[in-house]
Amino acid sequence: MTQPVSPVAQGPIRWLPLDDLDRLLDALRADGRTIVGPVVSDDAIVLDEIASAGDLPAGRGAEAGPGRYRLTDRGDAKRFDHAVGPMSPKRWTFPPRAPIRVARRTGAGVRFASADARPAPLALIGVRACELAALGIQDHVLLDGQAIDGDYRARRAATFVVAVECATPTSTCFCTSMGTGPEVRSGFDVALTELDEGYVVRTGSPAGSALIDSLDLPVADPSALDAAAVVVAGARAAMGTPLDMTNAHAGLAAAPEHPGWAAVAERCLGCTNCTLVCPTCFCTSVVQKSDLDGTTSTEERTWDSCFTDGFAKVAGGSFRPHGTDRYRQWLTHKFSSWWDQFGSSGCVGCGRCIAWCPVGIDVREELAVIAGVGPVPMPQLRTIALAAPASAPATASAPATASAPAPALGGYVTVHVDGMTRETADTVTLHLRTTDRRLLGGRPGQFVMAALPAFSAAPISISRFRRDGLDLTIRAAGPATRALTGLERGETLGLRGPLGRGWPVEEMTGRDVVIVAGGIGLAPLRPLIDICLAARDTIGTVRLYLGTRTPADRLFVSEVGALVAGGQMDVRETVDRAGPDWLGRVGIVTQLFDRATWDGRNAVAFICGPERMMQATSEVLFGRGIDLDRTWVTLERNMSCGVGLCGHCQLGRFFVCKDGPVFSLAELGPAFTMEGL
Amino acid sequence: MSPSSRRTAPRRPRVGVVKFASCDGCQLTVLDLEDDLLAIAERFDIVEFPEATSRRSSGPFDVLLVEGSISTDEQLEELLRLRRETTTLVTIGACATAGGIQAIRNWSDHGRWAATVYPRPELVDSLAFATPVADHVVVDAELRGCPIDPRQLLELLTALVVGRRPQLPDESVCAECKRRGATCVVVASGIACLGPVTRTGCGALCPAYGRGCYGCFGPRGDANVTGLLAGAPGFDDADVAARFAGFTVWAEPFRSVVDAHGGPPGAMPASAPRGSEDPR
Amino acid sequence: MTTTTRRPKTRTFEVAGLTRVEGEGSLRLVVKDGEVVEAHLGIFEAPRYFERLVRGRAPDEVLDIVARICGICPVAYQMSAVHAFEAAAGIEVDPAVRALRRLLYCGEWIESHALHVYFLHAPDFLGYASAIELARDHRVLVERALRLKKAGNHLVSLVGGRPIHPVTVRVGGFYHVPSRSEMTAVRAELTAALDLALETVAVVEGLEPPTFDREPRLVSLRHPTEYPMNDGRIVSTDGLDLSPTDWEDAFREDQVGWSNALQARTHAGEVYLLGPSSRITLAAGQLHPRAAEALARTGLAEEIRRNPFRSIVARAIELVHATAEALDIIDDYRPPERPSVAWTSGPGVGAWATEAPRGLLFHCYELDEVGRVATARIVPPTSQNQAAIEADLSDFAPSVLHLPRDEATHRFEQLIRSYDPCISCATHFLDLRVETRA
Repeated sequence: MTQPVSPVAQGPIRWLPLDDLDRLLDALRADGRTIVGPVVSDDAIVLDEIASAGDLPAGRGAEAGPGRYRLTDRGDAKRFDHAVGPMSPKRWTFPPRAPIRVARRTGAGVRFASADARPAPLALIGVRACELAALGIQDHVLLDGQAIDGDYRARRAATFVVAVECATPTSTCFCTSMGTGPEVRSGFDVALTELDEGYVVRTGSPAGSALIDSLDLPVADPSALDAAAVVVAGARAAMGTPLDMTNAHAGLAAAPEHPGWAAVAERCLGCTNCTLVCPTCFCTSVVQKSDLDGTTSTEERTWDSCFTDGFAKVAGGSFRPHGTDRYRQWLTHKFSSWWDQFGSSGCVGCGRCIAWCPVGIDVREELAVIAGVGPVPMPQLRTIALAAPASAPATASAPATASAPAPALGGYVTVHVDGMTRETADTVTLHLRTTDRRLLGGRPGQFVMAALPAFSAAPISISRFRRDGLDLTIRAAGPATRALTGLERGETLGLRGPLGRGWPVEEMTGRDVVIVAGGIGLAPLRPLIDICLAARDTIGTVRLYLGTRTPADRLFVSEVGALVAGGQMDVRETVDRAGPDWLGRVGIVTQLFDRATWDGRNAVAFICGPERMMQATSEVLFGRGIDLDRTWVTLERNMSCGVGLCGHCQLGRFFVCKDGPVFSLAELGPAFTMEGL
Repeated sequence: MSPSSRRTAPRRPRVGVVKFASCDGCQLTVLDLEDDLLAIAERFDIVEFPEATSRRSSGPFDVLLVEGSISTDEQLEELLRLRRETTTLVTIGACATAGGIQAIRNWSDHGRWAATVYPRPELVDSLAFATPVADHVVVDAELRGCPIDPRQLLELLTALVVGRRPQLPDESVCAECKRRGATCVVVASGIACLGPVTRTGCGALCPAYGRGCYGCFGPRGDANVTGLLAGAPGFDDADVAARFAGFTVWAEPFRSVVDAHGGPPGAMPASAPRGSEDPR
Repeated sequence: MTTTTRRPKTRTFEVAGLTRVEGEGSLRLVVKDGEVVEAHLGIFEAPRYFERLVRGRAPDEVLDIVARICGICPVAYQMSAVHAFEAAAGIEVDPAVRALRRLLYCGEWIESHALHVYFLHAPDFLGYASAIELARDHRVLVERALRLKKAGNHLVSLVGGRPIHPVTVRVGGFYHVPSRSEMTAVRAELTAALDLALETVAVVEGLEPPTFDREPRLVSLRHPTEYPMNDGRIVSTDGLDLSPTDWEDAFREDQVGWSNALQARTHAGEVYLLGPSSRITLAAGQLHPRAAEALARTGLAEEIRRNPFRSIVARAIELVHATAEALDIIDDYRPPERPSVAWTSGPGVGAWATEAPRGLLFHCYELDEVGRVATARIVPPTSQNQAAIEADLSDFAPSVLHLPRDEATHRFEQLIRSYDPCISCATHFLDLRVETRA
């Protein structure tokens, strides 16, 4: 066998006798690091702080199958010869609960500040190839977007990774199918391959080299390197024929109506175990930990799951009411939309979701049934231990080596209430004053997260931009929005933003414009209307169609009156039902233009209102000649972070908060009308 | 209570704590908020709480915490009267929210049941059923649990002061097990556990102590009990009724599971033949 | 003085709903011509039928169920039950398990007695409607009381998982036992609690009680070496001495005509009293040295026996005992090899009595061929105290009849509170029909 070469290894490969492992641990501790590694606790190998090598599970292994995990006794001295348990390094790099912000009411108004994460330096020992891949995936999700997770960044920077190569996978392992292991290729500071007598030691970063150099270890014998290669090759072979995942992305995307979803949903308990053991799942919610009167509240980012009842719920109901919808969301996201969002699969093949599902649902089986993923005969493999394959997952040992720093998540800006206008019985427009240039520089269709201490933040569309501030039109649909609508002149609130993709105003140049608003949907359209008026000469005919449930629900009544009188646009209004005082039209909004005669082939349409109304409107407009790529809608989802990090607002492959909320129907495709997505 | 209403209405909310048929554990949880009790007593005007104070009031109440199931005509009348006097009625605990363990007698012929305990059952005044409060009046908020969890109680009281929705998630016990790092007793030991179908609130207590959840916080929304019985280990046919006939047995879908498996242990439907279960 | 015939003068003292007692009770005392003709402690809680609920259940399920008889003393129910089942099956538990059970009981005594002394009883002596009002003038005192109560709750949580309705108790031992480091972690809090308990004695011994002197029949458990909690023989001040399994040989329960309470009496029809005053009287020799010393310093041992209002001192002494013993148990603790022993269920009968904070609690279970409960008998301390409470009310009344009605009624309430009645516990319930005497 030829001498394997690792392009990532720095320096020669060394050897550490089995009984000398504490030298490595002591060196890490001397660096001021807390060490976390595998330990036996309550019938499983979990991850916990360790004081010495003696705490590691020597002689213990683990066997797992769907819904089943049992410890085994080998009786030897090897410490890492076991498959992964229920915990992953995510527990430390992205903990179940982490304070991210502190909100306060002071005499001067409300103030929001980041809770500075100063995590203690940490060393993770025993990190497997699949887990390294998962860390790389989470790095990309949480650190490479336009908003980054500052807590995660701090914890990752403080973490030293000692990886181990797997010798004995269990039946739930399928890293070979996902291309993530069992060889440890990159993303580590130090990597160990455990043999009966000791460890083959590689370094993968300057920090790793510095640590290993300080131990003055002998160079590893070629026979040790061979033995290491055999161990890892054995692990690879033990996993049998890998699945061919090439179909997963397209197969799942094409299968939202597949009967397999209903079948698995009957078995699925919606218990959230799969998502919470998964090392790449990143969905979270914010929990307010406030004092008794809400003057100070610490916001904790908390693990959440798309399987919970409230995950995709807004005041009007749930976007994924059925178990079928939720299972479909999870599997499709993990194996399909993740590619569109992040350029890789979301799964690393660790198998935890299979083992720790109480009823033993196996994602590999579900993929086979629903997406046609299956095993394929593979040619005889060369053992390629210690060499980097062609497609290495994107990993970074430490974010410090990543490319130019991206803008951080951003804190809340405190703005002042200059006044308020009551629009309807439950809707109020707050006129806010601010000098924040980012807020003032927002675009029509963008939104902000509006917050008061101790309340959850609410996503609110900006309903007007002014030189010295902006307007938010808010419907009191729950306690948080009720508190916002109760604010009075002189009071303050926190805004984060502007967020999202706004209306593409440049599409209006040289075209006719059709604007259709249902109910409070007029609010996000108002800044667009302001632009229409300001840039009137560059635009063709402007038609504005407004529908509300009753006359009492109409917004911006005097402004609409002025538009009607002003003659710059063709304004028509209707209400669904009315009393005898209403002299205008009665009927649903599509009736305003379903028998119109104008030609829409050079028009662009902007629609906002309840989903059903937008769907019906878009169909009529399509009939008028306005194509899907010139029809724009704005969508509502359960938004929590507003910047694509918490996972709540997903619609197929889109994050509504950052890819939208404005979308063209062409890009949405069937996602616009499909139920339960 | 929004911040602005707090400014215009400086009066402290009038709070009452009352009890029907129950063990008192949920009320005691109020007194167990040791670190926060005095602060709470300053924020709220506790006008009726017979266990803790001789001060009495028959209403009106801004907030009324109600413990206990409804089992007698008198209790029902009192409940209806209290509902009229109360703005925000909060049921606390398994007895008030689900009927409690005493709801097991709802499967039995009440007359025969009483006769096994009292030599002269005709003197005993009680309804044939032990029922949750929500069966009789509109309930504005509920705290589940047997007993309720003090952190959830504190969250509810904070939410009432602040005016926000209480953060009481409707998710499985499993979610909390995983967050706290407890090893799953189902997967690692094959033990029967109601965690996947039970609503969390206890912080995943029993699995963290090596036993399966017995459902004292009641079924969560969308609980898939059929899937649990079909797919999870530990549920022998003979045992199923007993496992679900616990402190929240009367809540669906636990109730239907017990029905489908022959009723709770020791149930005495009117038609059952007289045997050794009858009066001593 | 002229001689005229007078109609007999009837005075009625009533409280429809007693406050600062656990559960729902009422008081009615009728005096005709200076003589007490009726003294009733009414218990009107709706029945929950626990003795029936446990039929058909396996013993481990029963342990979870009987805890729900009472939210203040769930450990007592679990302990009496678990010992009864272990007696039926002939199970011996590891000494470390036995120690843990005593520790659990210590925690409950601390929590229950601290609650009663400061929240339920002391306000009477100090003239407040509640501890909350007491806190307005004596905030530090109430904060310290809360700390003491919290220490008790912590101890129960440590061994039992949570302070109310613990989850770790099983036949043969526990589902889970604390590690040594978890035990030592509460040491500091318990040491502070011992100081708070001693302080409590100092506070309550100075509280002036109403005058009431009688020689009651007291009953409790007594053990040769331990202050009675899980184990001991049933003894009384008039020479009773029997095994904890044999309660039924000495006592009976009757359904009284006007109520659904089953009142307990000796087979000879005599009333008797359980609780801290009984234990201190009958088992003083086994008090922890710190508690014995505190008791001696008060010089009130005899008054504790003879004046029920002094029960507040008895509870304070037991607070010292429980905190001191808890510290000893923690210091000696080594986790058992296994948290519980395996056992097989089968037919049999098991009975046992343990000392709940409020007194002796007796359970008896008959198991069927497959080891499920066929019949159950549960006799709580408050059920047993009822008759004695009513007798005491009757005997006490003449000394306060000269007072204005409200004040006299308040004294009667204060007397009832002296027994720390735990009314939800009583599995047999009294629905008092008020009798009017014209």
